[in-house]
Amino acid sequence: MIGSTTHPLTRALHRAHLTRHRRAWLIMALIVGTALLLVASGYFNGVAWPTLADAVVRTTYRLALAYGIALLIGVSIALIVGWSPFIDFFFPFFDILQNLPSFALFPLFIYFLGFTDLMIILFAVSSIVWPILFAILTAIKSAHTDLNDAATIFGARGLRRIRYYLAPLSFPAVLTGSIVGIAIGWEAVIGAEIIANIAGFGAFIKNVDTTGINPTAIAGALGILVIVFIINRLIWAPLLDESSRRYAE
Amino acid sequence: MTLVLSRVTAHFADEKAREAPAIKDISFSIPAGAFVSIIGPSGAGKSTLMRVILGLMKHASGEVVRNFSRPAMVFQNYALFPWLSALDNVAFGLRMDGMPRKDREHVAREKLKEVGLLHLENHFPAALSGGQRQRVGLARALAISPDLLIMDEPFSNLDTITSEALKTDLLKIWRSYGMTILMVNHLIPDAIELSDEIIVMGAHPGHAEKTIPINLSRPRDTRSNQFFKEVDVLTETIRKIS
Repeated sequence: MIGSTTHPLTRALHRAHLTRHRRAWLIMALIVGTALLLVASGYFNGVAWPTLADAVVRTTYRLALAYGIALLIGVSIALIVGWSPFIDFFFPFFDILQNLPSFALFPLFIYFLGFTDLMIILFAVSSIVWPILFAILTAIKSAHTDLNDAATIFGARGLRRIRYYLAPLSFPAVLTGSIVGIAIGWEAVIGAEIIANIAGFGAFIKNVDTTGINPTAIAGALGILVIVFIINRLIWAPLLDESSRRYAE
Repeated sequence: MTLVLSRVTAHFADEKAREAPAIKDISFSIPAGAFVSIIGPSGAGKSTLMRVILGLMKHASGEVVRNFSRPAMVFQNYALFPWLSALDNVAFGLRMDGMPRKDREHVAREKLKEVGLLHLENHFPAALSGGQRQRVGLARALAISPDLLIMDEPFSNLDTITSEALKTDLLKIWRSYGMTILMVNHLIPDAIELSDEIIVMGAHPGHAEKTIPINLSRPRDTRSNQFFKEVDVLTETIRKIS
């Protein structure tokens, strides 16, 4: 079975010192290399690169801002609710809210905010916040009783409990919630741009010829792929490694 | 007396289990500076009793007189904060007290040195063995200079060699600190070796069956006839109430 230490492929990768991280960079290098070859061959000659770059930057900026706001709101609410004695009361309430399909609420965002940058950003916030909030609340609810007791006995009471116990306890949950949230955020931002036809990657691919796969669509997808890869390798992977190093059982 | 319990009853936290109390009508007292063990079968409410004593859980009736101001606890499953190094775990209580960083790290290093783990101060709990984690847990408790130390089956997850070494260190620490220790123990020989008196608890619901003083001289010779006799007496007592 691939992944087993006795599998020939696994052994070959091990001999070549291809760790998981190096394999990821190698795969991305192959994709980028292929893309550059296609550029050199003239495949992407018809692509409006400045327009594409502008669209990708707009979408990425909206996502980054939405994530920042969602992180602040999600972490704050989760920590306060988790610290309070009402966590069990609020949990089903949040569960119902997060099950509402976000695009069903899209008309409300348009009604109150119009076809604006702010509308897309806040719509994305409403999608990204839930995985973060739930991951943290679940981590707090499932913390071992002994750990809770140790925090109390050694003085982490009142608001100090949030800063010195609940916040660091929640770090792995913030990380996994963020990774899921960002994935949902891409969909929310691009989907909102498509529906509202506001300048961005969503509107860009919407206006692309629909007769089939063409260089512009591929160039756009590659651009997003590179951004996702860079965020994953440079931000999430090191944080996940640190988290597993510290929080392993 | 460091601690006096008078007809204390407490219920399980689980709503469905409230039909029967976890512990019922428990009365005993613990003299200051004594080493007392609590021994009993599973379901005797020993851990519930510890949480009531520490005020982590409310009792339904009875009276708990706490003549201690700085309790600390060593847990069966260590309960070290995984995001903190050994040094920062030991210093945690001091940080909550508002001690400046330099001072609390100095105290924490002293405590780690006492338990023989100064060389591991920068290691995280995930990188420590069970015995090392328990020593860090002990150092964390000692760092706040407790007047009552509660230990909930501290040796149960350790191998024999490690627990023997930890027992020896614990007795040295107890003698030098002069604090009161209340230990939940499930091994009769360990309880007799360490304790001035042993409270035997019965189960369903948990209750204090008997308090047995251990009048052997210290250091205890665990191979002497007197020691084995105490083990026999205690074993028989527990068998009768089981």
